[in-house]
Amino acid sequence: MALLEVSGLQVFYGDLQAVFDMDFTVGDGEAVALVGANGAGKSTFLKALVGLNEERKGAVYFDGIDISRMPAEQVSRLGLIMVPEGRLLFDSLTIEENLLMGTVNRRSGTWTLRRVFDLFPILEERRRMYPGQLSGGQQQMAAIGRALMSNPRLLLCDEISLGLAPVMVEQIYRSFADIRREGTAVVLVEQDVKRALGASERVYCLLKGRVSLTGDARETNPERLTQAYFGT
Amino acid sequence: MIWVETLINGALLGGLYGLLGIGLALVFGVMRVVNIAHGEFMVLSAFFAVLLAAMFPSVPPLLMLIPVIAVSFVVGWAYQAVIVNRVIKSPDPLAPLLLTFGVSVILRNVMVEIFGADVRSLQVGELSRASLEIAGLSIGIMPLLTLVLAALLFMVLQLILRRTEFGRIVRATADRADIVRLSGVKPDRIYNYVMGLSLALGAIGGVLLAVRSSFTPFSGAERLLIAFEVIVLGGLGSFWGALLGGIALGMAQLIGLKIDPNAGLLYAHLLFFCMLLIRPSGLVSSKA
Ligand SMILES: Nc1ncnc2c1ncn2[C@@H]1O[C@H](COP(=O)(O)OP(=O)(O)OP(=O)(O)O)[C@@H](O)[C@H]1O
Ligand SMILES: [Mg+2]
Repeated sequence: MALLEVSGLQVFYGDLQAVFDMDFTVGDGEAVALVGANGAGKSTFLKALVGLNEERKGAVYFDGIDISRMPAEQVSRLGLIMVPEGRLLFDSLTIEENLLMGTVNRRSGTWTLRRVFDLFPILEERRRMYPGQLSGGQQQMAAIGRALMSNPRLLLCDEISLGLAPVMVEQIYRSFADIRREGTAVVLVEQDVKRALGASERVYCLLKGRVSLTGDARETNPERLTQAYFGT
Repeated sequence: MIWVETLINGALLGGLYGLLGIGLALVFGVMRVVNIAHGEFMVLSAFFAVLLAAMFPSVPPLLMLIPVIAVSFVVGWAYQAVIVNRVIKSPDPLAPLLLTFGVSVILRNVMVEIFGADVRSLQVGELSRASLEIAGLSIGIMPLLTLVLAALLFMVLQLILRRTEFGRIVRATADRADIVRLSGVKPDRIYNYVMGLSLALGAIGGVLLAVRSSFTPFSGAERLLIAFEVIVLGGLGSFWGALLGGIALGMAQLIGLKIDPNAGLLYAHLLFFCMLLIRPSGLVSSKA
């Protein structure tokens, strides 16, 4: 069985259905890109996986455990961790305290404050500062660091490059090499399709809440992907 | 000289007022709920202390604070777990307000039913009259102890919130209650502890106020009003601001009484009203 196995997942906001009949798998240590236009349902899907959106139906297995009804506060312990869209750091906690929040109820593993600081040295310099005093890219590093502190087996990254300077994006994407060396699988949700494909083995494209295309990230025909992305 | 004494006594009284406010501020800061029943819980703890003092006449009455604090913590925990958590996620901000208002009315009536409407106070004997003479000023021991205790409690609470993992989790939950769940924290559980802490602090204020002035089952509204003025004066969400706000109110009250012995809390309320007009963000406007 794959690390994450989703079949027939539907997610709702009250009467509105945002995700339809979604099948999705991620293997151990694999990198998977999830792309799609604004409002396609990417964030909704991730939030349903980790339990932040509880209006969901369908089967979700993580590491063989049924998590389709598990509340968010229990999911983290299994090692399924999300870096939320917009970073959503804790504003009245210092950067170091933000990172430590990842340790509250974590899976055992090798990530420590020291290792996160080695991965993103700027965070060590800014450890006593508050998120509001950091640039967007540095905040994104802190958000990733907070997730890493929980020792993820699968890291779900929601639009980590959004609104960041290109050098920052470059640096953050380079860090994935280190992160994946641990055997950590990643799902990269991006609107920057090229970026996501370059860092992944497989790709899913979402269109209006449905999977419109799936395949090998390197061999996907760009034209077909464009169609699947825009629905033309 | 008499004015210096008045100011000092006002500041001492302010420590007590700060204590009334801090519990309310804590709950508001963490879960954005104004606990309207805070005053009634304070009065309830005062009744409990009076009851204990009557049952154990040989024990110094102030020692009753210990069981009262413990019971108040448990009551707060249960109050949050059973009642307040039910409405806290409601999109309607009126829901928690109405609910806690309902609880305050029920508590008041239950207290009348059980204890009657008589005026009570907690007698601490000699201690309430003892005073220090410093440089010709007469300063009451009891108010002095109260201010010292208040300052200590503020420091301890500050340390807990700033330096412990529990405090970190509380602050993170106050910032983003949904995102802490991703770290394995259940916000409802944190709220239970916070309400327990809030009512425990309120109990200390309630019991000490019962030493200073008498109370009835109907005193809760006035206590809530003071607590509310203290935290608005201090700047919502500011910690030391609440102590400052309390001191400002205490001074205003005693100066007012000096000018007009029948004024009661009038001048304190006036100060509050003027501050709202001049500086609505409070004395300390940044988060501390
Ligand atoms: N809280 C909400 N309540 C109601 N509808 C919502 C809510 N959040 C999202 N939606 C709707 O669900 C659909 C999917 O939104 P979602 O945020 O998952 O898209 P997305 O693919 O992450 O888009 P983006 O690239 O802009 O982040 C959209 O139609 C959106 O309007
Ligand atoms: Mg999104």
